[in-house]
This record gives sequence, structure tokens and C-alpha cells, in this order.
Amino acid sequence: MIALADVEQPLALFAEGMNGAYLHIKTSDALNAGPADAVQTRDTLYLPEAIDAVEPGIYRALALQPIARREFGGIGFEMSTAYARLPTLDRLPKPQALSRPSDRWLFYHHFPNPRLAAELFEAFERVRIDAAMCRAYPGIRPHLGACHQYLHGSGLVISPVARSLLRFQLGEPDTDAMSQVLHPLAKGLLAPSADIYDAAAATQSAFLLLGAEPGEALEDALTLEATAAEWAEREARLEDWEEELRQADGHLLAVEMLESEQLEATRTEGGGGEVREDELDIKRIKAERDQLARRIGLERSAVRDALGDEDAGARSYRYDEWDFHRHGYRRNWCRLFEQTLNPQDDADLDAIRQAISAWRRQAQQPLEQIKPQGYRRCWALPDGDEIDLNAVVAARQDLRAGRSPSERLYSRREKVHRDVCAALLVDLSASTDDPVEDDPPAPAPPSDSNGHSARPTPNLRDPYEDDSTLWSGVSESPAPPKRRIIDVQKEAAGVLAAALERLGDSYGIYGFSGYGRDCVEFYVAKDLRQTLNARTLAAIAAMQPKRSTRMGPAIRHAVRKLNESGNALKVLLIISDGFPQDCDYGPVRGDHEYGLHDTAKALAEAASKGIETFCVTVDRSGHDYLKRMCPQARYAVIEEVEDLPEALTKVYAALTG
Amino acid sequence: MTAAIDAINFATLDTEPFYLPIGDEVALFEAAYAARLPVLLKGPTGCGKTRFIEHMAWRLYRQRRKALEVPLVTISCHEDLTATDLVGRYLLKGDETLWSDGPLTRAVRTGAICYLDEIVEARKDTTVLIHSLTDHRRILPIDKTGELVSAHGDFLLVISYNPGYQSILKDLKHSTRQRFVSLDFDYPGREREAEIIAREAHVDESLAERLAVIGEKVRNLGEHGFEEGVSTRLLIYAAQLIRNGIEARRAADIALVAAVSDDRTVQAALADIVDTVLPATDP
Repeated sequence: MIALADVEQPLALFAEGMNGAYLHIKTSDALNAGPADAVQTRDTLYLPEAIDAVEPGIYRALALQPIARREFGGIGFEMSTAYARLPTLDRLPKPQALSRPSDRWLFYHHFPNPRLAAELFEAFERVRIDAAMCRAYPGIRPHLGACHQYLHGSGLVISPVARSLLRFQLGEPDTDAMSQVLHPLAKGLLAPSADIYDAAAATQSAFLLLGAEPGEALEDALTLEATAAEWAEREARLEDWEEELRQADGHLLAVEMLESEQLEATRTEGGGGEVREDELDIKRIKAERDQLARRIGLERSAVRDALGDEDAGARSYRYDEWDFHRHGYRRNWCRLFEQTLNPQDDADLDAIRQAISAWRRQAQQPLEQIKPQGYRRCWALPDGDEIDLNAVVAARQDLRAGRSPSERLYSRREKVHRDVCAALLVDLSASTDDPVEDDPPAPAPPSDSNGHSARPTPNLRDPYEDDSTLWSGVSESPAPPKRRIIDVQKEAAGVLAAALERLGDSYGIYGFSGYGRDCVEFYVAKDLRQTLNARTLAAIAAMQPKRSTRMGPAIRHAVRKLNESGNALKVLLIISDGFPQDCDYGPVRGDHEYGLHDTAKALAEAASKGIETFCVTVDRSGHDYLKRMCPQARYAVIEEVEDLPEALTKVYAALTG
Repeated sequence: MTAAIDAINFATLDTEPFYLPIGDEVALFEAAYAARLPVLLKGPTGCGKTRFIEHMAWRLYRQRRKALEVPLVTISCHEDLTATDLVGRYLLKGDETLWSDGPLTRAVRTGAICYLDEIVEARKDTTVLIHSLTDHRRILPIDKTGELVSAHGDFLLVISYNPGYQSILKDLKHSTRQRFVSLDFDYPGREREAEIIAREAHVDESLAERLAVIGEKVRNLGEHGFEEGVSTRLLIYAAQLIRNGIEARRAADIALVAAVSDDRTVQAALADIVDTVLPATDP
């Protein structure tokens, strides 16, 4: 038994290399695909969660199949070309479809048994793609063989058509009636010149030949739910449509500009006859464009429905999670998506800029104390302010011995560079949307025996729930200028950035949120090596309250980034406004123990990797859980939210000074 | 001092070094040489910068039958390389102290091409020498002897620079960079690379093509654990090992997989790519 989780990391790299672009790897039960299917959409590769075999190469063959499908023309089946290539297809009754299905769907419904047609087409395509794949990547052949063997032996492939062609690929003789029909047709698809329409032709021939021979289990199946491959196809077609739309937009713009020029001209001339025709033309183009846009919208929502949201530009990482109940890690339990925060064009940077200038003095003060960086005397230099006596003695020895002496006879005091790298992790949970409290809070409700507070927990907000009831009190109060926790956090991040910029340390600013273990979000406002500029500030300004607070994976990801930086001193600062929680952070929703333990473990992992961590919270009840979550003296509870910027730099100075 | 000597190569170029042009770089370099404009070669490691300059030196000096013994002086720059190493020093010989020209001075006097490889690795004081050689003055001041050497009419300074892996601290200063015309280099496409591998390692075309596909696929993984993709040079090494009887996968293992990254996961993925692209071995 091999689990996908065990081979995922190298497999993802392998897929990226072979595909030429990054692919998320997910299990195929996320998609309505067969247990042995591998499917690739624009940015994701779906693979079976586990395979009951010993050869890990099978996973590689499975991963390469959908990539090869794209590479060798298995996507982009068009009915018009099919009619041209298969003249007899035209004679079959054309299917009537209400919605706009894929061209594959249309093709299948030319036949009285679309399901069989689909099975034939898919199986023939697989034969063709596998052959093309083995030609291009000959090393995959043994693994593909093992894969076929596994599929055949495991009984995962149920369709008799697919089983027959699997036997063909395994080189078994065509003994039964169906195989005698299919195997010769499949042979034709092994040629290098074979393309998807040859597979369609083989499907048609097979259908005719098999149709004459009833007896096999070819029950009628008039409705056909879309297969995963079909969705991938529809997604690819969507890309084409989007391209069309862009062209139409460009065209429309050009026509409109021409039009306005002409209008200008006719106005001066006083004529007006021809304009009407042009107007009609524009109307037509506009109507077509709008229709296309509508179609794209519908199709996109259909595709998204089937395949899930696309995370354009995001990379995904998997992290273990500590389960204190079982006292062990849950392997590759969480998936974290790393995204760049895109600044909005009209981002209002004034608040952050003001905060930076207001806090500059206070924030700078603690850092200035570490500024004198110390000097170190460097020896045996070609120039310097003092003579290096040892080098001179050695040079005299060389002279006596008749050798050419070294010219490096000086020493100099050189500045020691600070080798510090810091990551600031900002909690972007929904509760950061809350206004900053001005008055001291009511006395905290008593904690229950488990140690977690019994007060309602606004930190977790279910995005699919209608929260109007929960938050009606907040939304109705007409106090727009009220500062929210997130605003203070952003300002603090800006102030720290400005301060660190002057110090010259390398630092990154990240936000995190997410919902559920499969969707931890990690937002990059500034990566470690990027320089601070207006764009960075705008990215910080673009931080918004999102969903929940799964701290463990976010910390692990920040640790990974810090580790890769290669700096000597690594610091991780976390700002949060409550304890870690998520909808499935632990077996019982609302039980914070699990999240607390996982976060503590993540912080301990960071410490073991030589990273200094520090948690700052603006939650006044923070002492309760931070004491248990963070290493000793590595946390602070900020009583007044407004003190956050100053507190952060103080902490930073203490950690790195 | 020995390190400095190791890093210097005087090439006599008796035979034509093989170079397969990718674009118009040969014509551009010839034009630059005709006008004696200093040239900066930019590109990732192992993509053929050094070979290109060797080829050009051969074209410009040997093909036109110039009787210069050493037409190309290559200096690999490193942190310990000082201006003295380039210009020259006093050496003791018996009881005498004799001045000995450094490689740069020799090139300047004889009219050779001087190629400073990975210029940003050198110490800052070397760039001062470069400045006076690369503008209209074309002179090399030698402060130890008080000499001011005017460059020979045929002398040309060429430097190379790899923007990929140098840290910000080691970026080339604009005042230096803007004295050169710069030629950008990158790894060749699949067909060209296959041709180069076949030609350099004397292997058959199908093997060369397989290795070029590996190169292409591995470069897709540019940002994971290794700074740059696999170089053409490494692909040629692998081909040479295979030609000398090493089994293809093993050769790719030691020449490519282990050479490109130290990260276990990345290595596993690279090994998978190699295994997939190379023809299967018969069990």
C-alpha cells in the first residue's frame, strides 16, 4: 500500500518539471473521478489517495498520464473537426442538447448508447496517449506496465471495454469476442501519427461492430454524467473562450473608436446615412460579446462547481499536524496555499504612512540601541590601518628563504554585518474586523476546568453561515470611523517594516487565515528578499479580515521560509487577536485544546530549528492560553492595542540585540 | 597566491573551439570588437559563455592569421583576487627583485582579449583598473612601477556576470556595468542543446536528445532548492560518462541529480524525471 501523502512531495516536483508549470496535487475523491483515475485541470493534478501496490513508479505513471494527455492532443476535441474527419458521423442523428455541453458529450450522443461510446472513446484515447507517452518518455514504460498490471489486478477498472483494452496493453491475447473487435482497432492507435480523431474513428467502428453482437453487458445508459476528463476538457475550452472574449473586447474597442471618429466627421459634414449601419454592426458585435461573456460566466460556475475554486498563482504546501489525543503527527494533514497579496490600485496608504511617521521615534528607539554593530579586526589584508605582525614575520621568513613574500601585511577593523532574518505573521481571522475597544473590558468570564474560556468565541466565523444575526449589533451601529483590530495590526506591520528597513535586516511580512485543514491561506505582503516600497505598503494595506486562525501550518510555513533564508539569526513574530481555532482544528468544534497543542508543537519545532519565536496578542484574556502555548517568556499580551507598534519593535530589539 | 595562478588560463587556441550560435551573438561580438567596445556576457552558469569567448577569440585571431601566441587570457575571479594579482608584482629571483607582469598587463601589452569571468566575485579594487581600460583612455596604471601602460590596439576587455545567484551585496555597480555592451546568454532550446551535447560528448543523437529533454524538464523546476537549472555543461558531462561505459541512469545520477541539488526531495524528483525520460533498461 502506498499513500499519496508519502510520495507527494517528490511527485509534485516531478509533475511540475514534466508539465512546465506548478500543479497542486490533490486526491481524486475531491473530484467525482474513479478510484484509479488521474485527472489534470488547469492547476491541479488529482490522483488516487492510495494504491494497493508496492511499486511507487505507478504513481509516477498515473501522474504523467494526464500531463501527457495535454501534451499529445488529448484536450480540445472539436465536433466540427470530427465531422470533417469522420464522414459517416454526419449521417447519424444529431443529438439535441438544451444546455451547451462539451463537444465530447455531443460526440457520445451520436450513438444510441452514449455511455458505451464514452467508455470506448476514453479507453481508446488512453491507449493512444499511453503509446505517445512511451515514445516521448521511454523510461516510463516499465512503470506504466506495472500500473496497467495493478489496474487489471485490483479490479478497480470495471467497464468491460476498459478491461479489454487494458488486456491489450498488457499484451494478452484477444480471446473473447469483444477483444477481437477492440484489439485490432487499438493497434491502429499505436502509430505516432494517430490523434484524438483516430480514437474517435475507432470508437465509431467499434460501436458498429459491437452493436451487431449483443450479449455483452451493454445496458442502455441514456443519461451520462460528466466524467472528470470531460470537466478538464470543458475547463480547457473555457480558456479558449476567454481568449475569444479578449479578442472581442479588443475588436469592440477598435470599432467604437472608429465609430466616434466617424461620428465626429459626419457631424462636421452634416451627413448621417451610413452611421446607422455602423451602429447596427456595433450592436451586433456587442450582443455577441455579451452572449459570450454570459456563456463564460455560466460555464465557469459549472466548472468551478465540479472542480472547486481555482487558486490562480498560488502554490500549495502540505504540513503535518500534531494530534495531542493520539500523541502523534497527522501526516500531510493540512494544505496551505501561499498567495501574494495584490495591492488594490486605490489602496489608502495614508493610515499606514501616518502611523509610520507617528511611531517612528518610539519604534526606532529600541532598535537604535542595537545599532552599534561592533567591529572585528581582520588580519592579513592587502591594506589596512595597522600592520599585521604575524604576516610581517612570515614575509621576512619568505624573503630569507628566497621565496616571494605575501603582500597581505595589514590588519583592519571591519564592520560586522548583522545576519538577521525576521518573519512577521499577522492573524487575519474574521475577528480582527472587530473595533478596537476603548474602555476596559468587562471582567473575563470564569474559565472552565479545561482551562479554555467559556465566553463566546467570535474569532471563528463560518463563512457559509449567515452571520447577520451574530453581528447585527455591530453592523447596525453607525460608527464607520471606528478603528478595527486589523487596522492596528496593519499599522504595526508598517511601522515594524519601516524600522527594520533602517536596520538593514532581512524580513518578511505575511498574513494567514483559512477555513478547514485543506484550505489554510498564507498571504505574502512582503517576502524576505523583497525591498520595501510603496507596493509593499499597499500590499500590507490590502490585508483584510478573512476567516479562521489555524496557526500551526502558518507557523510551519513561515519556519520553512526562514530556514531557507540561510541567515544566522532567525526570528518569527506572531501577532494574533485570539487563540488558534478553525472549523476542524480538533475533533470537537469549539474545543481549543487541540489547536493550542498543535500551535505549541509548531513553535517547539521552530525552536528546535534555531528560530526565535514570539507571540504578541491583543486579546486581553491571552495570558490563559499563551502561557501554555508559547515557550517561557516568549509571549506578550498587549493591554492597549495602540501600543502594538512600539511593543513589536521592543520585542524585536530584545530578540536580536 | 597559488589560488590566483590556478584561476588564470592562457589559451593558445590552436584548434577551433566548437560553438553553436543561438542567435546573432557572433555578429554582435564581431561588431563590438571592431569598435573595441568592452563586452559583458550575462547568463546562467554552464550555458556557454566561456566557450563563446574562446570561439570568438579563435575567430578573431586565429582565423585571420594573427601571430599572437596567446590571444585569450581568462581570469576566473574570486574573493581573494586583488588588483596585484591582475597587474603584476615584484618577484625575487636569486638576489634580484624583478617585476613580473600580471595576466591583465600581459593582455594589455600584447593586444589579447582579457576575459574576467564572474567579475563580481573579485575584490572591489579590481574594478578601478577596469574603469580606465574601458573608456576612451584605454590605459592601465601600474602604481608599483609608476608605469602607465597604453593598451595595444587589439586589446579587448570582456567580463562575465551571472545575475542569478549573486546576492544583492555583490551586484555589479552601475558605473561599471554601463561601460560594457552586454550580451545575454541562456540555455539553448531542446534541439540546439541536443546538437551541442552530441557534438561535444561524441554521443549519438538520440541519447543527446534524451539528455536535452531532461535538461528542459529539470529547468522547469528552477526555484526549488537549487538556484539554477541543470547546465548544458552538466548534460555534456553526463553524456561523456555514458560514452565511457557508465550506465545511463547512473551517469545522470552523479552528473545531474547529485550535482544540481542537495535537497533529498528535489533529488528524488530529479531522479524520477531522469528515469522517466531515459529509455528503459531491459530487466
